[in-house]
Amino acid sequence: MSDALLQVDAISKSFGGLRAVTEFTLRLAPGDLQGLIGPNGAGKTTVFNLLTGVYTPTAGTISLAGRRLSGLRPHRIAQAGMARTFQNIRLFGDLSVLDNVRVACHLRVNRGVLSAILRSGGSIGEERAITERARSLLRIFNLLDREAEDARSLPYGDQRRLEIARAIATEPRVLLLDEPAAGMNPQEKIELRELIRKVRRDFGLTVLLIEHDMGVVMDCCEKITVLDHGVTIAHGTPERIQSDSKVIEAYLGAPASDLPPRAGGGR
Amino acid sequence: MTLDQRRAAELAPSRAVAALRSAAPLAVGLGLALALHLGLDASDLPFHTKVLVDVGINVILAVSLTMVNGFTGQFSVGHAAFMAVGGYTAGALTYYSSLLLWDSGDQHGGFLGAGEWLFVGSCIVGGLVAAAAGYVVGLPSLRLRGDYLAIVTLGFGEIVRVILQQTGNVKFTADEVREAGFLDTATSLGGALGFTGVPTYSSIFWVYAFVAITLLVAHRLKFSTYGRAFLSIREDEIAAEAMGVRTTRYKVLAFVLAAGFAGIAGGMFAHQSGATLNPRELGFQKSFDVVTMVVLGGMGSISGAVAAAAILTILPELLRDLPHVWPAGVLVLALGLAFGGPKRARFALWTVGVTAAIEAIRFGARRLGVNLADYRLIFYALSLILMMILRPQGIFGVREAWEIGPIGRILARRARRAAP
Ligand SMILES: Nc1ncnc2c1ncn2[C@@H]1O[C@H](COP(=O)(O)OP(=O)(O)OP(=O)(O)O)[C@@H](O)[C@H]1O
Ligand SMILES: [Mg+2]
Repeated sequence: MSDALLQVDAISKSFGGLRAVTEFTLRLAPGDLQGLIGPNGAGKTTVFNLLTGVYTPTAGTISLAGRRLSGLRPHRIAQAGMARTFQNIRLFGDLSVLDNVRVACHLRVNRGVLSAILRSGGSIGEERAITERARSLLRIFNLLDREAEDARSLPYGDQRRLEIARAIATEPRVLLLDEPAAGMNPQEKIELRELIRKVRRDFGLTVLLIEHDMGVVMDCCEKITVLDHGVTIAHGTPERIQSDSKVIEAYLGAPASDLPPRAGGGR
Repeated sequence: MTLDQRRAAELAPSRAVAALRSAAPLAVGLGLALALHLGLDASDLPFHTKVLVDVGINVILAVSLTMVNGFTGQFSVGHAAFMAVGGYTAGALTYYSSLLLWDSGDQHGGFLGAGEWLFVGSCIVGGLVAAAAGYVVGLPSLRLRGDYLAIVTLGFGEIVRVILQQTGNVKFTADEVREAGFLDTATSLGGALGFTGVPTYSSIFWVYAFVAITLLVAHRLKFSTYGRAFLSIREDEIAAEAMGVRTTRYKVLAFVLAAGFAGIAGGMFAHQSGATLNPRELGFQKSFDVVTMVVLGGMGSISGAVAAAAILTILPELLRDLPHVWPAGVLVLALGLAFGGPKRARFALWTVGVTAAIEAIRFGARRLGVNLADYRLIFYALSLILMMILRPQGIFGVREAWEIGPIGRILARRARRAAP
């Protein structure tokens, strides 16, 4: 067990009387690409919110590379190497595409605010290094020619990809993607699969992917965890998950509109 | 893990170039302040000088509040309280030190003389005390998300006002001060009547020197990695936090900086000719004026805040004797038609309409012998309402004056070409 990068031990979260997540356990080895699926309201996004410190687990522990994360503020968790995207896109809408990515480089900055006010040589160097890095990320995500536009003016699919670029700019070890394909057209979805594999390889990332589009999940992920009503009902390879009776039941028990594969996503 | 420091070092300019680029804008700013000072001195326009000092002070206030309400998207409505803290601190320091040092509360020495340096030192101390007050007020209220800051700053403003009203009478001689000792003197700030007798040092040069410093700090902050972190908090606090931005720390930092500059502006205000440093003068109304400037300028736009501060300070004076506006209207119309974007027809229509309306009001007022200055608050309100209808994002929105319109398009094209 010692070679796990992300080790999640029986974390739970309740909202009032609602047990949104119950004893969720997960282990990601370096380089893993795992999926997290389940019907609407299963608690997938809540798991991400717990992992990234938006909520504090009522029980259980989270550790990244042996370091305990549960209880830390979100920015500390980001610093420790966990980054995420949001299901309901949360870009910095009035900032330019370039600035969205540059904001995410901020946590790796060394120079203080006084240095920025004095415009010291060191701060100028860092500023240029940030811009260079941000542009190289935008190039990978095919967004470089839109760098000056407001983030909110981008088409939906571009916004999703910008969110991924922004998350990667924080130099994470673990990347959490919350329904990145939602709202994308079929062509974009195919490109997205390629992109996820590429960034995982090029940036040495470990990825946990929430996705309703079964095409994307089954194609990308080596292992899948299935949640239903906050409880883990299955865990295994895509083939095993597809034929698991509990999984089929969970999905068929849900309203027909939630049946996978599903286009679009909850906001 | 940190940013690739080797790459950052490679990209950094040489030491000499960096030092030059760091200091040059300040030198230019101080030079301009000096030129303005000498120019006005030579032309002997006391009224214009007074208005320009007011403009400068309001620019410092509006630009500093922009750091909080604009950059980090918090809502402070107590900026005048920090102005009061800084103003009373600076005023009392200068006044009582003058009594002790020179046995007189009047001006001492000429341009750049000992008295002026005492004044500058006092203003800086006033700024530091106001910044400390900002930390005490900001730390507890900015930890929480939501509108707590508005409530707390409102309350703080009232507390400051009430405390100042309870202070004792101003002392008039060095002997009185020596006899009373430090604590007693420090609380002799004139009470409800106000602190009178602070020597007049707020000349055009010093006010605009501090305007230059304020603008430089605000601009460098906004266009640095810290400024982007500030703006990200305004845009989406949860996402900012998730990207590693220390939101609480930066909200407090922006608030403390803003309070510090408000304190300095207070210092300038205290040393203005004919000023009475008065608790009521620096109350909620003043705070609200500054908020109006920030909103009108466009939340987060430094140049917008400057423009709004200038307009809202000069407007009431202009209304006393409204000049013809049609030449300005024609100019704006011509510029708009020549360089405007796709909405230029609408813009032209509004320009003509507003110009005609103002001319009509001017004509009517002249005929009826009405003094428009008596109605200036109505004008204020009307222009604000009109603004919110025409440009709800403020004059420039988040952007700066040079980032929008034709200049902005040219700059953007150049930046894109410079990109690797
Ligand atoms: N802040 C909150 N307060 C109260 N209830 C919440 C909160 N956040 C989530 N919930 C509830 O917790 C449950 C799990 O929600 P969650 O968003 O994690 O589901 P999900 O699996 O991401 O669903 P979807 O596929 O629709 O995104 C839902 O019943 C939701 O209503
Ligand atoms: Mg969800």
